[in-house]
Amino acid sequence: MSEEKTKEPGQTSELKVSLDPASSQEAAEGKELINRRGFMQGTAGVLAAMALGSCSWQEFFQNNFRRMTKGEIEQTVERLRSEYKQKYGKDFVVDAEGPIDGTFFGYALDIQRCIGCRKCVYACVEENNQSRDPQIQYIRVLRFKDGDMDLEHSTIYYDPEEVPEKGYYYLPVQCQQCENPPCTKVCPVQATWTEPDGIVVVDYNWCIGCRYCMAACPYMGRWFNFADPVIPADKVNVNTHYLGNRPRMRNVVEKCTFCIQRVRKGRYPACVEVCPVGARKFGNLLDPNSEISRIIQTKRVFRLKSELNTQPKFYYFFSI
Amino acid sequence: MTNKIAICLAVLTIAVSFLGIQLHETRICVAQSQLDSDEPTGKIQDSSEQEFPVPLKPLSKTISPCRACHGPEKDFPVNFKRREDLLVHTNIKLNHGGVRLWCLDCHSPDNRNLLLPLSDGKAIDFEHSYLLCGKCHGTKYRDWKYGIHGKRTGFWNGAKNYYLCVTCHDPHSPRFKPLAPMPPPDKPWTPKESAQRK
Repeated sequence: MSEEKTKEPGQTSELKVSLDPASSQEAAEGKELINRRGFMQGTAGVLAAMALGSCSWQEFFQNNFRRMTKGEIEQTVERLRSEYKQKYGKDFVVDAEGPIDGTFFGYALDIQRCIGCRKCVYACVEENNQSRDPQIQYIRVLRFKDGDMDLEHSTIYYDPEEVPEKGYYYLPVQCQQCENPPCTKVCPVQATWTEPDGIVVVDYNWCIGCRYCMAACPYMGRWFNFADPVIPADKVNVNTHYLGNRPRMRNVVEKCTFCIQRVRKGRYPACVEVCPVGARKFGNLLDPNSEISRIIQTKRVFRLKSELNTQPKFYYFFSI
Repeated sequence: MTNKIAICLAVLTIAVSFLGIQLHETRICVAQSQLDSDEPTGKIQDSSEQEFPVPLKPLSKTISPCRACHGPEKDFPVNFKRREDLLVHTNIKLNHGGVRLWCLDCHSPDNRNLLLPLSDGKAIDFEHSYLLCGKCHGTKYRDWKYGIHGKRTGFWNGAKNYYLCVTCHDPHSPRFKPLAPMPPPDKPWTPKESAQRK
């Protein structure tokens, strides 16, 4: 077929003839030919191989996380641990801990303090086992010219010798953990939902990779594994959570979870702890004495794209 | 008779108002003592009565103890005059509040191992320097106590680590120093480019 194409690319009538699968001329020439039976057989074979080859019986018939019983969760965690042990040669902790009672998480970021050093980006990559190549980074640090608030005019590829640069300010954007999230509504299989403590999570094993949620998110807060994620075995974080930073597979969507594996144990998220200027604040919105509540009470705060009524729990504030 | 009643009423009102003032004063005293509880104890108390540790910034060996040179036994007179060049502390470039501040606006002239006292007259040691910073930067000090200003690590629902003001801000030149940024993210690539990458 390709030979014919190169010989006479302009003559479409001949091409049409050659495309016909029932063409006996081609069969006689001994070229590859796909007829309906062959296609069906091949598809069935591929499907069977996918079902039995790449994943185990238990994985294939695994239920949605929210419908799993306690025993099923334990079995799944054990299976995941043995899988990760085989792949990375390390003993993993895979939590499936539920939310702490009386918590509803919020986050605040001081855009007058942020200097755009991207330390949070790389702390997040290491904490959350994000793929290094192809690169996935949950946090994007946008750089704006002073006085400009148009997201379209911002850049994330700035690379000066030193930050902060004069005449610019920085606005890190990650998942905004909306109270009215568009991404969970569009999921056709309910693989993503809001936990009772306000964290929007993904069940990677239930995700079918349709990327509707990515199209729905106005903050570009979700990432898709187009290829097998690559994490160096010595860099992998073994303290994981089922809904959080456990190593992902190809063709699933992932996102920031406020470091669910840390915050459900009372710790601060990794980005909060690494920030050299202390611009990132995290806490319980239901506690009137927490940092986040005090910031909302006493500082000028705004939320990104608030006109969309997504009601993010991620606040930006001015401290000066 | 009516006169007596009037006098009684007057006495009563005076007594009540006096008591009221007394109560008001005691309240002020309580508030004052709460403020005073910020005196150097090595711990900070926030509104929920939790104590948080403040890790110290290690002082360099060359400059401490200060009293080795500035002590009473050394004949090294206190010079209150502002000078451009210092004899010994050549590594200190004073850039705090323009030309308005001078060494002895923070360091105690009598005892160089301490800082100037608050209004209560007690000198502040280097471990509690945030009290002295709070004298001028009151709003920042308040925000820092509530965790709004500055970095905190540890547990959002438990023990938190505070950092002293001087951990991040050099007190002699407090503006935050510029950093080299981490590398920018990869630009998106097409399948063709991805084949070239490998």
